[in-house]
Amino acid sequence: MSGSSQTPLDPAAGGVTDARGATAAEEAVEARAAGAPRRWTVTRVALGLVAAVVVVWLVVKASEDLRQFAVVSLNGITLAALFFVVASGFTLIFGLMRVVNMAHGSLYLLGGYLALEMQDSWFKEEVGGLGISLAGEAGAEYDLVGWLVPLVLATLIIGVLGVIMQQVFLRWNQGQDLRQALITIALSVIFADQMLAAFGGISKDIKTPTDWPESIALPGDVRFGFFRGVIVLGAAVLIGLLLWWLITRTRFGKIVRAGVDDREMVSALGINVQLVFAAAFFLGAVLAGLGGVLGGTMISLAPGEDTSFLLNSLIVVIIGGMGSLAGAAIGALALGLVDAYGDVYLVFGDTDLTNYSILLTFALLVAVLAVRPLGLFGRPA
Amino acid sequence: MTASVGRTSWPALGVVVAAAALAPLVFTDFFVSVILTKSLWLGVAAASLIFLSAYGGMVSLAQVGIYGVAGMTFANLVVADGGAAAAWSPWIATIAAIVVAVAVGLFFGVIAARSVGIYFLMITLAFSVLVYYFFSQVTQLSGFGGVNNPDLPSLVGQPGQDPAPLYYTTLVVAVLVFLGLRYVSRAPFGLALQGLRDEPARMRALGFNVTRHRILAFTLAAFIAAVAGVLSVWYNGRIAPGSINLAQTIDILIIAVIGGLYRLEGAWVGALTYALLDNYSREWTPTVGDVLGAERFNTILGVVFLIIVLLSPGGLVGLWERVRGLGGRGPGPPGEVAREPAPAEAAK
Amino acid sequence: MKGIRLLALIGAVLALGLVAGCGDDDDGGGGGGGGDQAAEGGGDTIKVGFLSDCEGAFGSFFEPTASGFNQALIDKAGAKPASKKPSEGVTGATVAGKQIQIVGYGCSDGTADKAIEETRRLVEQEGADILVGPLSGDEGIAVANYAKDHPDKTFINGIAGAQDATLKVQAPNFFRYHPDGAQWSAGLGDYAYNELGWKRAAIIGDDYSFPYTSLAGFVAEYCAIGGKITKRIWAPLGEKDYSSYISQIPDDVDGLYVGIGGSGLINFVKQYKQQRGEVDTDRMMGNVFWDDPLVLKEVGNDLVGGTTSAMTAADSDDPDVTAYIDRLRKSYGKELAGLGPSVFTYGYYTAGQALIKGLEAVNGDISDQKKLQAALAKVRLSGDEAPYGDVRLDENHQAISDVFLKRIVKDKTGDGVADVATFRRIPEVNQTFGGFFTAEAPPPDRNNPTCEKRQPPPWVGKAEEVSFGT
Repeated sequence: MSGSSQTPLDPAAGGVTDARGATAAEEAVEARAAGAPRRWTVTRVALGLVAAVVVVWLVVKASEDLRQFAVVSLNGITLAALFFVVASGFTLIFGLMRVVNMAHGSLYLLGGYLALEMQDSWFKEEVGGLGISLAGEAGAEYDLVGWLVPLVLATLIIGVLGVIMQQVFLRWNQGQDLRQALITIALSVIFADQMLAAFGGISKDIKTPTDWPESIALPGDVRFGFFRGVIVLGAAVLIGLLLWWLITRTRFGKIVRAGVDDREMVSALGINVQLVFAAAFFLGAVLAGLGGVLGGTMISLAPGEDTSFLLNSLIVVIIGGMGSLAGAAIGALALGLVDAYGDVYLVFGDTDLTNYSILLTFALLVAVLAVRPLGLFGRPA
Repeated sequence: MTASVGRTSWPALGVVVAAAALAPLVFTDFFVSVILTKSLWLGVAAASLIFLSAYGGMVSLAQVGIYGVAGMTFANLVVADGGAAAAWSPWIATIAAIVVAVAVGLFFGVIAARSVGIYFLMITLAFSVLVYYFFSQVTQLSGFGGVNNPDLPSLVGQPGQDPAPLYYTTLVVAVLVFLGLRYVSRAPFGLALQGLRDEPARMRALGFNVTRHRILAFTLAAFIAAVAGVLSVWYNGRIAPGSINLAQTIDILIIAVIGGLYRLEGAWVGALTYALLDNYSREWTPTVGDVLGAERFNTILGVVFLIIVLLSPGGLVGLWERVRGLGGRGPGPPGEVAREPAPAEAAK
Repeated sequence: MKGIRLLALIGAVLALGLVAGCGDDDDGGGGGGGGDQAAEGGGDTIKVGFLSDCEGAFGSFFEPTASGFNQALIDKAGAKPASKKPSEGVTGATVAGKQIQIVGYGCSDGTADKAIEETRRLVEQEGADILVGPLSGDEGIAVANYAKDHPDKTFINGIAGAQDATLKVQAPNFFRYHPDGAQWSAGLGDYAYNELGWKRAAIIGDDYSFPYTSLAGFVAEYCAIGGKITKRIWAPLGEKDYSSYISQIPDDVDGLYVGIGGSGLINFVKQYKQQRGEVDTDRMMGNVFWDDPLVLKEVGNDLVGGTTSAMTAADSDDPDVTAYIDRLRKSYGKELAGLGPSVFTYGYYTAGQALIKGLEAVNGDISDQKKLQAALAKVRLSGDEAPYGDVRLDENHQAISDVFLKRIVKDKTGDGVADVATFRRIPEVNQTFGGFFTAEAPPPDRNNPTCEKRQPPPWVGKAEEVSFGT
């Protein structure tokens, strides 16, 4: 691996890198275990039965109120779309560089806040008023430019910030994945506190262009949010396709794929790995920032959203398998749907368990890990 | 490869413990309680993390989740405001709490032990968050506003009135935890664990059941974390979901890293540093616009954490040893011995 | 060799602690640079600690709460603001010839653990005789319990609204001069049933103690008169996507009480709009957060038409109110003065006023805090001390005061932010709702209180219509 030549220069790396030395070896061992042919173990059969029960339950519930089922399903899918945008950046960085960017959620939130600030200060049509500091944006109107320009700029700034982060803090200790994770945790703690100081603790949201419809009518008397249902879902599909094209059809993609499989060889072939790494980090951060702008418009921005989206990304990639784009898509869909269905359908007669729906997410996680320790699409490093 | 076995000498430990025993005579009640007692129990929690990391190569973020299970179990089993208030005797509740938490730890271990390195970190993080959400949602157990005023063993008296009994109790527990973990690390079990950390493939070839060994280590650490969880309830006099949230998970990690991830002593060095920073940085910190000020404690903590990780992955203990190492050539941090790239790294 | 090194290391850390541990006696200046003008003069100085939240969900309210408390000292104790940032402290505060020293502006993060740590730091380390705070519900219960263990200190609640802090804990030295979370909802049930004709209603709220409390106030009154609650929907803590919960709101109800405050409201409104086309606010009531100036600024225009309640009325033209806002503006500028009607600022303001009155009653002598506590229990606030309405305490040291019903209306002042029109005053709201809430009753939760017709609270039918500035 590319970083190993640097590690001996840093004797202080000590016990921390010992841990990752073991990591590599264990991964190799686990690889064989995970790659073993599928067997019909008790666990698998049990999980299959549980899955069947869940499907039957959903069918029963759906037949009771089809309209609600449609809305809830759409909720889940659109939420999954947002998760996918954010998690795809996370998984991309990990896949190529083995960096678990624990500040990914901070980049998400900061992207949203930056776009909000830009929209507020540049594009707010003055509604008269005294211009005092309490003048709100609530009555302001925005055109398409007032949403798109902040989106592009904020996203690019976050991308550059990601590269700076990688160059300053992570480049010189490549290969020490635990240490890098710790560094990004430290950065996320600082980011979170500074964002609280700068943007306050009240939830804020980015406004959609005024002439966009609030919601769209679907067949069967179903109303659904236009931004969620069209823009976010569309953006996720577009980004998925673009990434797929980038990974499978371009030179950059080839290097990334090669890097995921064998980083040693990639650098040995004389490819400027550092440039590729910087580009990957840029792209990963851009996706976080873009997710932040979409999420800040679709949901809202508030302290705590950084860790919440970091956790979502973690769960998505643990389920889907780290480094896999398809895994991120499947993982996001699983997380989004489980979340949405659990919120509504965990009712058994008079027993209302919807308050415990969040625990279902973890049940899903445990179930996947029990069968595939590296996630659904995970491949050994 | 037995380098990281603790080398603390008995006299040094004796002097530190003796000095600590005198603390209530020297310091104010506030200091004994909010700084020293808190450092001791936080140190126990961090020690469970450091034990896994130093000897097992597993950096676990599940420790707060496990101690949360212990703390919540204890608080629910004794007389308290909120929760189940089962009115058991505090000692029986303590034992039950530890048993429950160890069982949960065993369960977590079974799931997580097959994962390693950064995967392990993330999965254990998910466990801690799971426990937090569980208690946030199952309000029958977390008492809507937390479980307040649990009945404590008479041994620790009334910590609010006189902190000394609880302080001494915590001190004794901390010393026992330290000695116990040190003993384990030198026993065959601990040596095998270190072997698994460094050379899992060879150990497997030698006939060791790698996964089972890791599960056992994780369960032992769960026991230590459970002890810390019960102590935390004795110290705080309450436990709420907010006591075991993600911020607390990160704080325990920060404590372990600041102290030093590869030496048990680091747990308490880190905890003391953390408690001092937490309490006094609010007075020292100058106000610089919105960026810095008394209310920006987390920025300061984050910066200290960042500096430590950047400069000395061995934490304060490692930093100290390095500074010493520049003079007389001491053996240096244990990790250095293993600095030649592990074969596994090449295999990557 | 090794041992000595380790010993030296631990010794060094301990020494650091020693310096810190003993050093605090010398510099009285607390965190946040609280006024350290007062000399270490033993009996001549009264040390007060201030506790609020600067992190977590309520982090934004740190300076507003500090401005409220400071303003009381500026009004009645001759203090001057040390700077435009309230947490920088005040100078020259004296009551009955004694100097008031603020030993620190303590900062919690919304959790009970942190609130207690800060309380201990202020009381045990900085030596505060009196603590003013905290801000949020669970913190309030914890501080009230702490107060019980420290009878020689006095505690005045900031704006924490948990019912239990006074109703159940009943600490003899803990005082709350503002209505609790359930009291804030008084009058809404009467209005919904008798004026709006809601026979059946649903409630939706965030799944934690504060929404339980505000919803309890609504349910207790609404059901007592005869209303029916057909569905209670609780969204788990931290939920940001309410769509799935909105889809569960039944269609066959006359109205909806929304116990979603703070950070969730903006999401709720947005997702409600998307799913149902518009926020039918004329069928909605909200809790105390709805008309907080900071919340109005973010979502006010979507809430126009909704009804809410609290002990403040932003549009009040009472001379005491306008004078209060003017004084705040003079001390801390327009922005913080704009938050004057926020319950957060106002709660801490009345706490400060009550403290000064109590201290005056004992002539600044706090050598026996029992006397101060006895005086505080008798304090009544009126006129410029409590510009939005008189306050007195019941036997649990809980405020009995008026509550206003308000409607959120379109922007009247031209600043782009929706405004508030107060239309009812509910007189003399007490904590028990006429004996309904008791120390023995189960605390408000997902299913409690149950919906039963019974003797209505004493203020039902006694509400007076009010109208400001028209």
